[in-house]
Amino acid sequence: MTTVAATAHAAHAQHDDRSFIQKYIFSTDHKIIGIQFLFLTLFFLAIGGLLAMQIRWQLAYPGTPMPGGRFLPETMAPGGVLLPEYYLQLVTMHGTFMIFFAIMLLLVGVYANFLIPLKIGAHDMAFPRINMASFWSAFVSGIIMLASMFVPEGAARAGWTMYVPLSARHDYSGAEFGQEMWSLSIIFFGLSSILGSLNYITTVINNRCAGMTWFRLPLSVWALFITAILGLLAVPVLAGAAIMLLFEQILGTHFFDPSAGGQPILWQHLFWFFGHPEVYILILPAMGIVSELIANGSRKPIFGYHSMVFAICGIAFLGWIVWGHHMFVSGMNPTLGSSFMVSTLLIAVPSAIKVFNWMGTMWRGNLRFHVPMLHAVAFVAMFTIGGLSGIFMAATPVDMFIHDTYFIVAHIHYVLFGGSLFAIFGGIVFWFPKMFGRMMNEGWGKVHFWLTFIFYNATFFPMHIIGMAGHMRRLYDPTIYDFLKPMQPMNVFISISAFLLYGTQIIFFLNFWWSLFKGKKAPQNPWSDNGLEWTTPSPAPHGNWETLPTVYRGPYEFSVPGASEDFIPQNKKLPTDRDPVMAPAASH
Amino acid sequence: METAHKRPNYILIWIYLAVLTAAELALAFELPIKPSTKLALLLFLAIWKALLVGLYFMHLKFEKWNLRMLAIIPIPLALILLFAGMSEHIW
Amino acid sequence: MSQAMAGAMQPPFPAERGIEVYNKKLGMWIFLASEVMFFAALIGSYVILRFGAAGVWAKPGIVLSIQITAFNTFLLICSSVSMVKAYAAIQDGFQDKMKFWLLMTILGGATFVGIQVFEYIHLVEHGFTPAGVREGSHLAELVANGTLPAATMGLYGSTFFTMTGFHGFHVTCGVISMLYLYLFKALPGKYSPQDFSGIEVVGLYWHFVDLVWIILFTIVYLV
Repeated sequence: MTTVAATAHAAHAQHDDRSFIQKYIFSTDHKIIGIQFLFLTLFFLAIGGLLAMQIRWQLAYPGTPMPGGRFLPETMAPGGVLLPEYYLQLVTMHGTFMIFFAIMLLLVGVYANFLIPLKIGAHDMAFPRINMASFWSAFVSGIIMLASMFVPEGAARAGWTMYVPLSARHDYSGAEFGQEMWSLSIIFFGLSSILGSLNYITTVINNRCAGMTWFRLPLSVWALFITAILGLLAVPVLAGAAIMLLFEQILGTHFFDPSAGGQPILWQHLFWFFGHPEVYILILPAMGIVSELIANGSRKPIFGYHSMVFAICGIAFLGWIVWGHHMFVSGMNPTLGSSFMVSTLLIAVPSAIKVFNWMGTMWRGNLRFHVPMLHAVAFVAMFTIGGLSGIFMAATPVDMFIHDTYFIVAHIHYVLFGGSLFAIFGGIVFWFPKMFGRMMNEGWGKVHFWLTFIFYNATFFPMHIIGMAGHMRRLYDPTIYDFLKPMQPMNVFISISAFLLYGTQIIFFLNFWWSLFKGKKAPQNPWSDNGLEWTTPSPAPHGNWETLPTVYRGPYEFSVPGASEDFIPQNKKLPTDRDPVMAPAASH
Repeated sequence: METAHKRPNYILIWIYLAVLTAAELALAFELPIKPSTKLALLLFLAIWKALLVGLYFMHLKFEKWNLRMLAIIPIPLALILLFAGMSEHIW
Repeated sequence: MSQAMAGAMQPPFPAERGIEVYNKKLGMWIFLASEVMFFAALIGSYVILRFGAAGVWAKPGIVLSIQITAFNTFLLICSSVSMVKAYAAIQDGFQDKMKFWLLMTILGGATFVGIQVFEYIHLVEHGFTPAGVREGSHLAELVANGTLPAATMGLYGSTFFTMTGFHGFHVTCGVISMLYLYLFKALPGKYSPQDFSGIEVVGLYWHFVDLVWIILFTIVYLV
């Protein structure tokens, strides 16, 4: 951190007399908050992966002592052999950490915070102190969730979806404090998310610089803006549901208790009403990042910019009326189920539009396969596979067979890892110079990409196959079922690939940490990109610009015929450009 | 930015609200009406009061259409959730 | 209170490009949108549970005191009026009137919370809890003799305390915020007709809280 401090300090223009604590601990600077989120989330990503390794050990070699198992308490893994109760904690906490604390915070907490003010030409967010509050409540939430793994009886174990009554009654789950801490942690997380969303929405609406009209916004900003709206309206429902669950756990309420007239399916409706917009929160920012990376790597404007925007809006709009496809086998009203099938099939269309537009962007482009571009292209391919498996699930009769099997697990990981996480890796490498003033090592970046790509496909593609064969998810020991015995060699193959996949991430982490201190010093615009963030020094100073820029064109003016370079930044004024006509500007 | 307009008579709105509340109380207890009609009327009165507060005290009546849209957007979403949950018991 | 033509209705601080509503006000409206969804989850659950309950629901007025709550409702409405009068006062530049009406709002809100706490204590003493009716209590006798339906009292208690409890929590947060603004902004004279964003923004929150109560009072106490 000190070298980061040194480089950041060197780039500072004028009077910055904040103390160390104000600058780096309780900072209100959106870039520092974004970096704080980055360190927090990379930590949780590693934790989530570690939990997954234990899951894979159990599935490949059920009943055998796990390496490192002797460090686990006897109540969880006597003699290093994982107990079913512990296994269920593993699957629950893997999902919880990865979805909430890794992917969601990486895409929103890191990128929304870091990129939005830079890309719209603002000094900072509309509400910097609320931004800081958002980070620290996410931090508290993460601590509570982590601590829940160390309480007596252990962590929550009802799956990250926390279906009642298993999650509500500790005589069913065997975990009292762990389950309650999960609910409490999610309530804090909800607060953090809502505060963040209102900041991002206000900032994008009101704090754009001169000339930055709505249809000159980069697609990453559009995606983050729409994502913030989704979060604003969906997360409160989760918060309400988590509060009801917590009250069920500690106050003895009866919301979900059938013996007192309550409805277990109410939890599912509340949870998935949040849960489906949530998965679009987990993919839309990644799609936005991919648009930036592909336009940059193809040296071409994004194909169909307007339809990309409308597709994002279409996904967000339709995303509110598809949640029942998670509940096809719950026993819900069948007519309602059919309507969910129709809307779910429809929502494939805007996503497909985006895939075709990315391909159209790359078509006959001056392709540069730098590390971010590799990740972005992988995203397009892997997300397509994940989306195609989604069509199977959208069809209710098919979903009857594949629900809660590994086919679903394959789908989730193709869109979240092959999709979101590849976009995140690409984004980290792309914006590393703007964050820290140095470049990540390109060679090791490529090694990391290719090994990750190979091991990731080796891990998750076979899950489609075993899922189709009926291999259930959240299953402690597959070998007790005769019909699954032929699948066991594939389980072993998946696990070994998973171990290699996790090991490969060490390359990324080493590259990241090494580059923080010893990476090549970065120029202002290392990727020759058009975004406004590249008009600031690397790393960007507090306040971003002394004078806010003025924008004269859209964000993807690459390879413009007759231009002196193959890109024209948004704020560069050419003789043919007119000044924007401004409404009276707000003094900041 | 609010459009230029005459300030609403807040005291008058207050009287309306008081009258509507009294009407609700009378309806709930005194008048012998079928329960389903009573429910519909009570909801109607409650929504009328809510609109008075929203339009006049929160000045939504005088704001631009885009701010009004922002205020309205959550309502259809809430209704969708409500409808789906209730449909478990309709048919 | 003036009926004057409102060129004074123009926002007193520079409008920003975008939605032409200044940041704090836009932020508050956006926050209120999320609050609508939060209460939609809680109130929606109540409606879904009550609509889907197999048995009848308790008749209004037996467990809960309509008289006290009607007064409380009226009080909250009055505090909403005093809030908007404080807003109108500072718009016209009357500092003393604004401070007076703001103080009235704070007192009204605090009294509302106080009465609700009193109501809660009274209810718990009589045996009405979030888990339903406590055994051996006064209300348990009413269940036993059929005045109250045993099948739905659990749901009644769970939904009542959760909805009104969180509403009360929001009122409390509003009172604390207004007290902060009163002590550190209004009294030292930091508001002017050119800048009274805090009053407007906390006013929006306060009216919203009143609006939620208008809905809650009807569907929880009267139906």
